[in-house]
Amino acid sequence: MGIQDMIEGKKQWRAHVARVKALPPDYRIVYQEMQKYFFKVGPIDLTDGTLLSGLVDFFEEGAAAGKGVLQLIGDDVAAFCDDLIKDSRTYAELYLESVSREAGAGGRS
Amino acid sequence: MNLWDTITGNDLTREWKAFEARAEALPEEHRAAWNEMFGHLFPYGDFTGRNLMPILDQALGLLELAAADGQGVHEVLGDDIGGFCAALAGEEGARSHRDRWREQVNRNVARKLGRLGG
Amino acid sequence: MDDLTEMLKGTLEGCVLEIIGGEETYGYAITRRLNELGFTDVVEGTVYTILLRLERNGFVRVAKRPSEMGPPRKFYALNEAGRAELATFWAKWEYMTSRIDKLKEGGR
Repeated sequence: MGIQDMIEGKKQWRAHVARVKALPPDYRIVYQEMQKYFFKVGPIDLTDGTLLSGLVDFFEEGAAAGKGVLQLIGDDVAAFCDDLIKDSRTYAELYLESVSREAGAGGRS
Repeated sequence: MNLWDTITGNDLTREWKAFEARAEALPEEHRAAWNEMFGHLFPYGDFTGRNLMPILDQALGLLELAAADGQGVHEVLGDDIGGFCAALAGEEGARSHRDRWREQVNRNVARKLGRLGG
Repeated sequence: MDDLTEMLKGTLEGCVLEIIGGEETYGYAITRRLNELGFTDVVEGTVYTILLRLERNGFVRVAKRPSEMGPPRKFYALNEAGRAELATFWAKWEYMTSRIDKLKEGGR
């Protein structure tokens, strides 16, 4: 169970949240909106990969270089989000596949 | 918790219990929203509900994040919780919901950064 | 030139491969190089998403190196698969531009 493992009292997640908190306010705002968007869209990279931690790495670099967040990623934050998860399948897709597989197998066991 | 009664006793009880424990930890408003979302999502599940687990996990995670950020339910889910849940499950209208979420990201960023600059 | 975004979409990845193919480099330097070339709308975020994709597809070697300021920086270099991908990109590019030039010249 991905997100539960990720969030629930895990040391790594707490460390991650602390890193987000340490970002400049503009970065923090954008990070949080992006994170919420990812949780709605549900790419499996969210729990399988390094989507969020990689993003914080990237933001830390940008902040350290003294750039504003929109200067770094452009004004269209949503487009940046979609670019990041372009290749990732979503939980919804996996779910729909499981449903159609079942229908194909002649219904539930 | 009638909904939970429906499903206790199956082989997933332990995992369902974990959901329940997480929901208990939410603020009241968010917990109420979780119950509502659960009601909307549950019918999408198969007999055991196993295929629905990642989607429920995602929904609960979203509420947990919102609560942690001090964000109200309405701000995250909007007016149409049923439609929102259908979109989570990839049903019809998922595309238009995703468009709306996209607009929401940019609008929220613009508003919050604007407030910051002021 | 303004508003190249749509047209650049499919080719930017090839441009980034080419830049990395020259020498090991990092995201900001790649962005600056593209900006200097005249692609002024390209921001670091765009390059970041491309680098992620190249890394995921196994086209690059990545090394974290300490930087003078801030956190360590990720440096990218092409590996074998990346070189092959770059060659493919240029082959496709040749094909496409030769066709389009022909069209422009009124040939068929």
